[in-house]
Order: sequence, then structure tokens, then C-alpha cells
Amino acid sequence: MRDEKNRGEKPQQENTIVQKANRLVLTRTMLVMLVCGFLAFIPLFCQLFSIMIVHHDEFERKAISNQTRSTSLSADRGIIYDYNMNILASSSSVENVFIDPNDIATKKQDLALIASGLSRILGVKEEFVYQQAADTTKRYKMIKRKIGPELAQQVRAFINENKIEGIYLEGDTLRYYPYSTLAAQIIGFVNMDNQGTEGLESYYDETLTGTAGKVITTKGNYGSEMLNTYEKYYDATDGNSIVLTIDSTVQYYLEKSIENAIEKYDVLGGGFGIVMDVNTGAIKGMATLGSYDPNRYQEIYDTDKAEALEKMYLEAISAGEGTEAYNRGLAAYNKAMAAARLWQWRNRAASDGYEPGSTFKLITLASAINEGAVTLNDSFYCGGAADFTGREQVLHCWKHAGHGMQSTKEALGNSCNIAFANIGLKLGGETFYDYVDAFGLMEKTGVDLPGEAVGYFYSRNYMNPKADGGVSNIISASFGQSFKVTPLQMVRAVSAIVNGGYLLEPYIVSEVLDANGETIMKNDRTVLRQVISEETSATMRDLMEYVVTGGTASRAKTAGYRIGGKTGTSEKLDEFDEYGNPVDDLMVSFIGVAPINDPKYVVLVVLDTPNPATGLYISGGIMAAPTVRDIFADVLPYLGVEPDYSDEDISAINVVVPNVMGRTASEAENMLRERSLTCRVVGEGEKVTGQVPSSGAEVPGNSEIVLYCGDAAPQEKATVPDFMRMTVREAKDTAASRGLYLQSKGTDRNPGYLQVTYQSIEPGTEVAAGTTVTVEFTDNSATD
Amino acid sequence: MANGNQGRRIQPKRGSLDVPFLLLTLVLVTLGVIMMYSASYARAYKDYANAQYYFVRQLAFALGGVVVMMVASYYPYDRLRKWSLPLYVACAGLLLVVLAIGRSSHGAQRWIAVGPITIQPSEIAKFTIVLLFANMASRYREKMQEAKYGLWPFLALLGLIALLTLAERHLSATIILCLIGAVMMFLGGAKIKWFVYFGAAAVVLAVGYLLLFGYASDRITAWLDPWKDVSDKGYQIVQSLYAIGSGGLFGLGFGRGRQKYLYLPEEHNDYVFSIICEELGFVGAALILLLFILLIWRGYWIAMHAKDRFGALLAAGITTLLAIQVFFNIGVVSNFLPSTGISLPFFSYGGTALLMQLGEMGIVLSVSRDCDNNLL
Repeated sequence: MRDEKNRGEKPQQENTIVQKANRLVLTRTMLVMLVCGFLAFIPLFCQLFSIMIVHHDEFERKAISNQTRSTSLSADRGIIYDYNMNILASSSSVENVFIDPNDIATKKQDLALIASGLSRILGVKEEFVYQQAADTTKRYKMIKRKIGPELAQQVRAFINENKIEGIYLEGDTLRYYPYSTLAAQIIGFVNMDNQGTEGLESYYDETLTGTAGKVITTKGNYGSEMLNTYEKYYDATDGNSIVLTIDSTVQYYLEKSIENAIEKYDVLGGGFGIVMDVNTGAIKGMATLGSYDPNRYQEIYDTDKAEALEKMYLEAISAGEGTEAYNRGLAAYNKAMAAARLWQWRNRAASDGYEPGSTFKLITLASAINEGAVTLNDSFYCGGAADFTGREQVLHCWKHAGHGMQSTKEALGNSCNIAFANIGLKLGGETFYDYVDAFGLMEKTGVDLPGEAVGYFYSRNYMNPKADGGVSNIISASFGQSFKVTPLQMVRAVSAIVNGGYLLEPYIVSEVLDANGETIMKNDRTVLRQVISEETSATMRDLMEYVVTGGTASRAKTAGYRIGGKTGTSEKLDEFDEYGNPVDDLMVSFIGVAPINDPKYVVLVVLDTPNPATGLYISGGIMAAPTVRDIFADVLPYLGVEPDYSDEDISAINVVVPNVMGRTASEAENMLRERSLTCRVVGEGEKVTGQVPSSGAEVPGNSEIVLYCGDAAPQEKATVPDFMRMTVREAKDTAASRGLYLQSKGTDRNPGYLQVTYQSIEPGTEVAAGTTVTVEFTDNSATD
Repeated sequence: MANGNQGRRIQPKRGSLDVPFLLLTLVLVTLGVIMMYSASYARAYKDYANAQYYFVRQLAFALGGVVVMMVASYYPYDRLRKWSLPLYVACAGLLLVVLAIGRSSHGAQRWIAVGPITIQPSEIAKFTIVLLFANMASRYREKMQEAKYGLWPFLALLGLIALLTLAERHLSATIILCLIGAVMMFLGGAKIKWFVYFGAAAVVLAVGYLLLFGYASDRITAWLDPWKDVSDKGYQIVQSLYAIGSGGLFGLGFGRGRQKYLYLPEEHNDYVFSIICEELGFVGAALILLLFILLIWRGYWIAMHAKDRFGALLAAGITTLLAIQVFFNIGVVSNFLPSTGISLPFFSYGGTALLMQLGEMGIVLSVSRDCDNNLL
């Protein structure tokens, strides 16, 4: 065998074989070259082209989502403010503790240690932790939600000390309601997932929630850092805040007074009420009692109810698990619990109808006067009972002796059913119906609250006197029986009656603020229509004042203010006892307007079923009217409605301080209250040992008398300050702080411009504590 | 070999080496080292807290490799003949050693540690087969058409090595060994019908093997639909596709790739080409492929101009080995082929592999020194 290098020297034949063999190698090399250097690369190019060019977008998108971590930026839920920017609801950062059962299992963590640690720090049961850790395919099992920073810190320390993998914390927010039960049904609450569930939290959920943002960050696998990172921010938009028309002070007074009434009159079904601006429809207060604490909305706030439920639960579980009785008992308990919750969350002032009773006579009369069907000069006879053609039963007036001959004004003052039956018939059923409709009593008011109800009324054709039972229906309707309206509808209709006839759309959110506090929406007075004329409205104001000064609502008289209103007592509809018989539970109410000569606020209070066992005569005049009076007395000065200081008024409302020495504090308080005085008790003793001012002194009505009990000694002397140039409010506060009383003179209804221009005692004079200083206010706006 | 001494005596001064082949090799090695820097620093930082760890080593081996290549280019390739059988025996021995005490890697034993460096005997085996078969075929010449020369000895030698790698469960090595063995026999002049028979047999064997070994079957399913199990079986290929697909026409720019941040396993190793695609785009990837193609063409050109059959077979074999590795590697990373662990010449990390590859290039260059243009 020879090498090819010698081929040139070899014989021709051998050379041919060699060349043939060489050619074979050559052609085969070319063939392999074609395959390895060309053909093989074709699919590679195609494949790369397909991935990199054709499917580039798809792969890039997937790659980016694979390489990026999207961190959600939570948007802060907006704040709910009251009218004075007091915070009613706000959110704070908290944390949730959860475990990753899969981590615990695969990373061989000490479950016993985890269970005991979490149990110790968070107060959860160890068995619960074991339970949550049982399914090791799961990656997220909650241990405890919404814990504060201190507990979270302890959990972190526990994790770090023991180098535990499998316990994790995540951020969350907790909604906090600093005023607890105050306006609870209005504000509502958010559920565990921070979604508004009731009240304004629900109605304005979208506004308050904002939009969660996210940061997209490139991250290497295993969290390694990339050199060329990019980040994309989608800003979270914090929720907007809402400012309510509700004034927490007004709300407090409203709730306090209703609560007192519930206690005083042993009201069984709770009570509700509204304070509204008659000229704008702004709701200043809206209350339903019993209330609940939105911070713990699941708990039954009413202790009696809560105890009854607890008892029910204990009885149910005592039957032993698995038994028929156990299941039945537990089901009943759950049902009762759910009902109790729904009940306490319910805003009855807007979400439920009630029986307006005689307060509705305002609607009947306003309609009749506006229509000219009745004038003030008409007279109505009431003999205690009357027959009406078209009505089978005899109609009895609430006063069985009868009211005798009455003017239109007296008929309203007496709340005479027989007179109003006649007024209703004079008006005519269908016209009456149209007015009820015009007063907005058959439609939603449009208030910005969830779950508003409408109530119900007769159909128009049932109000036709020729229709079967039509007369009877007109008569019932004329004094407010046998139908329902919502408290809010009623308050709005009465506002229209006194404000010149304008039906408004009530509202509860005055402003929406963005995260920077800029106003982005403002609610204002919205007039829907004029229902009655200005004249009719003025007439109605006079008549309503008479109800207080000379009619059934004398207990609504509020020292220093002119009040108008109407009482109402009505049998509850649709309420049956366990035998299916209608129960004679009563709804008592009073709707009042102040000042009636220049209406600013309307207050409605409804008490559901006062207990007859108290022995009191159950009526709106006896029970609801004084409740509204208390509210007016608290709220009007607070809202800057100054008493009308005509000389007459002042003498009328100046009261003589009684002698309460030696009485118990509560006795003294009652005595003072009878004279329209309030008191402040200083000291711990049982008996009053001193009072300022002493008995016989004349002080303005509603003044606060300081009672000293036990060892507490009265402050003997006080120095008269310089009141000059002070405003009404400043003067009052200064006087109160010095233990002095202020008697104001001067008449002007624009308190903002009033300044003290005279004081009866020189500044710096030493006087006995409780001395009354007379000051004169003058309107400086004209001269300045 | 009686003429050996005489041949050496009368051997004229050797010609100069093939410059295009040398330049293409150097360009590819340079690009490989540069890309190594970009591809490996995230991993290097994680593994060694030193972002240059892999890069510096690769650079050192590349420099050493170029020296080896140049030395090899001066070494008369003719003298390699006598090394072919001892190398084969050593290689078979090493494979046995690896089987016995080799370091475990990815569930199969493939590496052997010698001091600080690791040697992959299957890598040596590939070259050994090229060398041995070139030697045998150039000696048997026209007898290659006879089965007792052209078929059975080859089959026996190849079979032993292939079985050993198969025992290692180093499937990719087995496949490449069989392929390169077959190509060498083909180039050497073996009968076409043998390829038909044994090709058919190989297909049957391959199917049987796939059915037998679960991990390989998983690779097939992951290949057919990598998206089915993105987090496990399809993870690697999906991550590779993310990288390649992100590249687009011009890529994210050198060093700006994202998939190397520990998403893509073996990013500086078998999957380095994915990072190239991601950072340099289709244009860059195509350019590198083109450089490989040019190098391969030049390799075959040298083979066709070799002064003797041994040189021709040696150059063609080494070039084919290179082409096969490029084809398999890029086929795998682009999911054209099922996943197997085949590295990309000049680009994948690995000191001994780089030394060997450059050494092989040196041998081709050595063949080119004696090229005889009269052959065509």
C-alpha cells in the first residue's frame, strides 16, 4: 500500500484505481458538505426565523411576564368626614399572617414549633394551626387577619429567631370607625375584603376604593438582581374621600335624645329620626336606634339580644354534636343571628316605611289650602264620632268627647280626625292623591344612601269617592292611617310645606374630595318642583306654630325658639301576633320645624312601640314632641340659630333658679329641667351642698347651673371679663368659662355680624360666681 | 510504514496554513469568549460571587486553545496515525473508569476529574473515532467495499464505544458517535446499502431505547409540547424560547439580555446560543451561523484539497463533527430537536472541550499546510 503522495510515480492502472477511489472520497465529501454545510442549516434558519421574527411578539410578551414581578400597590380607601371634617371612617395598615403548608412540609419545618409560636403570639388555637397546615398541597392558609404592627413585629421576630420558612405576612388595611356607634347605619362598614357592604361605605364604594396600582419590576430568577432593570409604574389612585352633610355633634344630640326617649318611655321597637336643612335638603343627622359598632359589625350590640342569642347557641350545642336537636338548634341560632345583624345594620330612616299618622295631616291640609278646597275661615264640627256616606263604620275622633266647633287652625291644633276627614273629602280623593304624589311620597327621594324604600299608598282609582271603599280610603288617608311612607320622604314633604313649597332632593354627601383634598364633586340644593305656593307655605307655618303654642304639641316648646310641627300616633300596619291577629302596637312621632317663622331645620322623631306598661298616655305629643324639643334645644344653638332676642322673648325665657340644696343630684336635675335649665355636677357626694347661682337668681333659660355635691366647694368669686366686640359665640363661651351667665339683648338674625357693644358690669369687677351679665349685641355689618 | 522515514526525509518544506479557516476560527472563538462574558456573569455572581469567574476561565482556555491550535497546525498530521489505536484503547478505558467512579452529573456519569479539571471521555471518543476511522479507511482504501474491511471492524470499534456511552446514559454522545462513525465510513468509501440496513436498524433501536428510558420519553413530550409543563419538563426549552423569541430582528443589545438572570438553566453552557439570539437578534444569530457555515465549507474545502486520503478524511471528519455539534446544539435550543446535552463549539463553557476543539482545528490547519491544489 502506498501513499497518495507517490501517485504521480505509479503505473497508469494503479493510478486509475487510486483516482477512482479518490474521486469517490471527493464526491462523498462534497455530498457530506452539502448536507452538513447547507441542508442541515435550512431548518435551523427557518426555526430561528419563526421564533424570532414571526412569533417574536408572543414570546417577548411571555418572556416579560416571566421576568417581571408585578407588585400590587394598594390604593388607600378614602376617608369619610363629617361636615366639620371630623373623621368618621378611615383606614390603617395592618397585616395578615398566613402559612404555606407546602413550604412547611417540603422544607421540613417544625410544625409543632410553628403552632405553639403562632398560638402564643396571636391567640389562635394550636389545633387550628395544625388544621390549616394539614393540606400540604396548599400554599396559602390564613392564620389571623388584620393584626396590628406590634403583633406583626412579634411574628417577624419569631420567624427570624427560629429561621422558619412557611409563615408569611402580607399587608392589608383595617377600616376604623372612631365614633363607634355614631351614625353607624349611615356610614355602614366594609367587609373583611375591604369592600363597602352597608351604608355609605357601600353606596360610595367605588368612589372610596380608588384603583389599585402596580409596579412591574424585572427580577432575575430566585430574586437575583438584574443589571439592566426596568420598572413600570401604574400609579395607584387612592380612593376619594367624602364629606358628609352629617354633623357628628348634631348626630350625637339626635341619637342621645332618641336614646333617652327610648329609655324614658320604654320604647320596645327602637326609634329613628332625621335632622334636615329644610332649604337645601342637606341631612344634618339621621339615626336609627339600637345601633351597632361598625368596628365589630358582626357582634350584636344590643346586650339583651346578644345574651338571648348566646343562650340559644349554648342550648343548641348542649344537645351534642350530630344530634337532630343540635342541628336544628344551630340552624335556628344562625337564622336568628343573621336576622339580628340585618336588623341592627338597617337604616330605618330611609330604608323602611312607617305609619305617619297625624303628622300626615300637614300634607292633607297643605294640599287642601293650596287647592282652595279649605280656607282658614272654614269651621269644622267634631262631636267625637261621625257618620260618612260611603263609609260603613262610624268614625271616632281620638278625643271621644269631641272637639266641638273648630276653625281650620284649631282642627290642626287638635289633630281632629273628623275635621280632617271632611278636609280630605273636600279636597277630593284624586286631587289628594296627586298632591301626595307631588309631595314625593310615592317615589324615592334620590338620597345618596343604599336601599332606599318607597313606602306604599292607595292607587289613584282607589281614592275616587265613587269607587268601592273610596270614601273610606280618602278618610283614612286624610289623617295618615293605613299606608306607609319613609321618614325621609316625610321630612322632605314637610320641608316643602314650610320652605315655600319646594320639593328638594335630600343628600348626605356634601363633597367628594380627591386624594389631594381637592373638591371634585359638590352636592347642593336640588329643587325638583314646587308643590304648593309660597302663600300656602306661609299659612302652613302659622298653623304649625299653633300646633305647638296652642295644640297637641305644647311639649315641643323650646325656650328661645319658635317651633312649629305636628304630632302623630298611629297603629302599626302589617304587624301580627303569633295568632295572626293584628297587634295594636303604636308608632308615635313628631315632626318639628325651627325657627318656624324662618324655617331652617326640620326634625322628625319616630318611636316604635312605647311600652304601655309605663302608664304614660302613648302619643306623639307626650313622647315624641319633647324628644324633638330636646334635640332643638341642643342643636339649634350649636348650628348657630340664635334665639330671637326681642325684649319680650328675653323676659319670657328668663327663669328663676330654684333652690335645690340638699336634694340628690338627679332630683335637682329634674327640678332644673322643669324650668328649662340644665346642670353640671361637680364632686362625688350624694346631696347637693352648693349651687351657682343660688336660688332666686334670674338666668336665661337653658343656662347651665353648677351643682356642687359632697365636699366640692363652689367657686365664690368671678371676674367679669371684657366682652366688648366679642361675637355671640365668643361671649357665651367666655361667660361660661368664668362661671358667669350671659343675658343677651339686641335683635338680628345674622349672628355672624353681631358684636357686643354694651355690658352691664364693668370688666374686671369681682362678682359672685353665677352672676348674670347683660350684654347688648349690635349688627356691625352695616356700619363697618 | 516502511516509507515513513523515507517520506520524512524527502518531505518538502510544508506550505502555509489556510488563512480563511484560521481567521474564521479565531473570529468564532473571540465571539464565543465575548458572549461568555455576557451570558455567564449572573450565574457566576450567584455561584462564586464573582461575575467574571466563568469568563476569565473561558478566556484563559481560549488563549491556551489558540496556542494548542497553532502547535497542532505545525504537527505533521501523518504522525497522528500511530496514536489512533492507543487513543482508542485509552478512550475505552476512560469510559469504563467514568462508568465505575465517574462523577455524577445530571443523573448520568460522564465526567472524570483530574485534579482541578474535568475530562469528558465521550468528547475524546468523538475525535478518536474520526482519527481512527480516517486512519483505517485511508489504509483499506478500495477494500472498503468489502464487509470484512469496510464494515465489521468499523462496526465493532464503534459499537464498543457507543455501548459504553449508552451505558453512561449519555445519549447525545452515543448519537453523535454513531453519526460521525457512519459519516467516516461513508467518506471512506463503504457500501451504500450497509447504511440502508444499519440505518433501519438504528431507527428500530432508537425507538426501543426511547420506550425503555423514561427520561428520554419525557424529553420527547416536552419537545412536542413544551408549554404543557412549563414549570418542570418543559421549563428549560420554554425559557430558551423566551430568550430566543425576545431577540426579534436586532436583539436587546449585547449584555442586555434578561433570560440569563438564572431563568435559563445552562445559559453559559448548552444554551448560550439562546442568549446570543436574545441579545444580538436574528441578524446576530444568523451572522454567527453564517460564520459556522463558512468555517464548515472551508473545512471541507481543505479536506478536498488534502494531499492524501488520510488528511482528507481527517479534515472532513473533524469538520463534520463540528457541523453535527452546531446542528444539534442549535436544533435543541430552538426546540427543532428534542433536548440533549450537546454544547456549541467555541461558545459553550468548558475548558477541556475548548482546548480539544481548537486542537482539532489545528489538525485541520495542519492538513491545510499540505494542501495540493492539483487534486481537483
